[in-house]
Amino acid sequence: MRIISKRFLKTNSGKMASLLLVCCFLASSASVSAQDGAAIFKQKCSACHKIGEGKFVGPDLMGVTTKRSEEWLFKWVNSSSSLIASGDKDAVAIYNEYNKMAMPDQPLPDTELKSIFAFIASKSPGAVSASADTVKKSLPAPDASLTATAEQIEVGKNLFTGSNAFINGGASCISCHNVNYNGVIPGGLLAKDLTSVHSRMGGDAGLMAILNAPPFPAMTQAYNGKPITEQEIAALAAFLYKVDKDTANQIVSAMDPLLYGGVTGAFGLFVLIYLLWIVRKKNTVKKDIYERQVKSI
Amino acid sequence: MDIRSQVCMVFHLDKCIGCHTCSIACKNIWTDRKGAEYMWWNNVETKPGTGYPTKWENQDIYKGGWEKNGDTVSLKGAGKFKGLKNIFHNPHMPVLDDYYEPWTYKYEDLFTAPEGDDQPTARPISLVTGEHMDVQAGPNWDDDMGGSPDYARQDVNLVKLSAAEQESMFQLERMTFHYLPRICNHCLNPACVASCPSGALYKRGEDGIVLINQERCRAWRMCVTACPYKKSYYNWNTGKSEKCVLCYPRLESGQAPACFHSCVGRIRYLGVMLYDADKIEPAASVSEDQLVDAQMDIYLDPFDPEVIRQARLNGIADSTITSAQNSPVYKFVKIWKLALPLHPEFRTLPNLFYVPALLPTMATVSNGVYDSTSQSLWNGVESNRLPMKYLASLFSAGNTGKIVDVMKRLMAVRLHRRGVTVGDLNSAEISTAMNEVHMDADTANAIFRLTALATFDERFVIPPAHREESIEMLEATGDVKGNTGFGFKETPARGL
Repeated sequence: MRIISKRFLKTNSGKMASLLLVCCFLASSASVSAQDGAAIFKQKCSACHKIGEGKFVGPDLMGVTTKRSEEWLFKWVNSSSSLIASGDKDAVAIYNEYNKMAMPDQPLPDTELKSIFAFIASKSPGAVSASADTVKKSLPAPDASLTATAEQIEVGKNLFTGSNAFINGGASCISCHNVNYNGVIPGGLLAKDLTSVHSRMGGDAGLMAILNAPPFPAMTQAYNGKPITEQEIAALAAFLYKVDKDTANQIVSAMDPLLYGGVTGAFGLFVLIYLLWIVRKKNTVKKDIYERQVKSI
Repeated sequence: MDIRSQVCMVFHLDKCIGCHTCSIACKNIWTDRKGAEYMWWNNVETKPGTGYPTKWENQDIYKGGWEKNGDTVSLKGAGKFKGLKNIFHNPHMPVLDDYYEPWTYKYEDLFTAPEGDDQPTARPISLVTGEHMDVQAGPNWDDDMGGSPDYARQDVNLVKLSAAEQESMFQLERMTFHYLPRICNHCLNPACVASCPSGALYKRGEDGIVLINQERCRAWRMCVTACPYKKSYYNWNTGKSEKCVLCYPRLESGQAPACFHSCVGRIRYLGVMLYDADKIEPAASVSEDQLVDAQMDIYLDPFDPEVIRQARLNGIADSTITSAQNSPVYKFVKIWKLALPLHPEFRTLPNLFYVPALLPTMATVSNGVYDSTSQSLWNGVESNRLPMKYLASLFSAGNTGKIVDVMKRLMAVRLHRRGVTVGDLNSAEISTAMNEVHMDADTANAIFRLTALATFDERFVIPPAHREESIEMLEATGDVKGNTGFGFKETPARGL
């Protein structure tokens, strides 16, 4: 009898455990809401958007859920560029207001988007209260860069050009970006020109946010697992501020070193190839025979 | 000792009538396809002549084969540095015009041309471009010394001859030619295999046939350049290289290769020889005058008990050893020493041996009278129509002693048989000739029999294929045990 009951207990406890697991699972899957939204917002949106603290790289999102329909927001977030292209009036207006810079596509699942919207709504006190007037025009740039030392700018420049590698092994900026700055060779054209990025993207704060968690898909991939450190960001910001400030003073060199270097190099290569293969079979071995036959006809 | 078996061949040039039946048999079976029209895996050349592709023997142009490099050999035009340097554009590679542009005729015009004053003609059409073309050359444009100033006088083997010797070869009363049928030599030290960057070429373990894996070939065409005999060809349609396969599907079913089988003059012999793979590198690396002897040393006596024991240890079947003992090639090459490899100076150790032609003696012109008689029925071999130096350039890397030796043996057999069948010769003359080459009557009769009267089974001693064993060299057969047995076949991406 004792043995039987023990066995009964054993099986019963097993069942209990599995029931508990199922409960936990249900509970976790049910709570896709505001607190998830907060995390996703921080990761995906906060680089460019603030809630109630004013305009940043992109617009302040306070009350956006009441201002726009949910359907419109879905479309915008998934692909703002196609919404703009479709001629949507509101979309075009925002696009023009923000220097014709479209928001990078963020193809998130609907459930995650909904949780972000829930989070934004929870942070927006009262409906439609967030009018343009209550929002501060722009964040005053804290701009440590204004007082950056020449050494810091040099560090930033070296990081940008790849003379010094990023500590975590991320790709140097110049692989994809270009800046118009004396002493920096023309960079890649794969992504935006960064000459005026400091003013365009909201000063130090904006750059810091973007470099901390890059919101652009290609950049996200490139720096995935290879984050840029605080000091590196500060140095880069200082350098980019300097670049932005000095734009007007730059002499745009007519001698593109890459282009002319490339042409000269190619020419040199052709000469080398010619010399390397100077002894070679240039004609068919039957050329003499053909020529003599044609002549004899 | 690392004993392996090799299918070897002998072509008896004295019997070749230059009919090209072998070439046609091969073409009909293997190269009658788009992209392969210009290929002649088997071709017959007239010597002296430039051959196919033109001047193939001139390795200053094509950089094929091996060259001596200290105690070893290195590829002349391929290998790590030279291969990489030329991998995307190889200037030594033969171009289509070095072979010839294949063509057909627009025969339909003969029937559909409107009535007119002139006969309708069928114009030549290129088999490569499909457009009208002017035919400039063919694979044997210099057949029977046609166009000699362009072809025969350009023969690379004449280089070693003095101007006077060359000139005498082209005097009408001294002029002569013979045929040289060529297929892949299935070399012991194949340059094509060594040169392939993709590792697509291989030498079959069981019989030494050299093949190109059509699935691994990546069209680098290094083999085309590296083969000094120019017996690897690029198929521009499939984008793969191809070569003579020694009709291995026929061999595996006990049949002679098509060119051997169809040979009208019955000049071809095929059989297995056992060789020592450890000796390949040293034999390929000796100085030029020793090349023939060094190669002959590689082939082993299949009757030697020690050789048989080692061969069994290496997994060579008893049936293959028996075939090696009956091999007509072993007799011609090793016992009778009548057959020599073609251009041994390429150092690939070719397995196709030639019995040189015992050409007619020279005639003279005196007082405007053409006189072809000589004191005896045949003159000495030194007064052969083709200079010994020329034959030495073809078959013994310039070692004339080897050629004279072979010629004297052939002459001894001929004198002996003349004595037997006609009996009009002085017996002292016959015995002098026989003694000079240490040949007895039985040997002479045996040579005569295998040369002139051999049956099909004496000419082709084909070892049983033992596919069930040879496949185990490549894969574990247990892996597919219990499968349906059909498998599947992948066609190359670019189609066949």
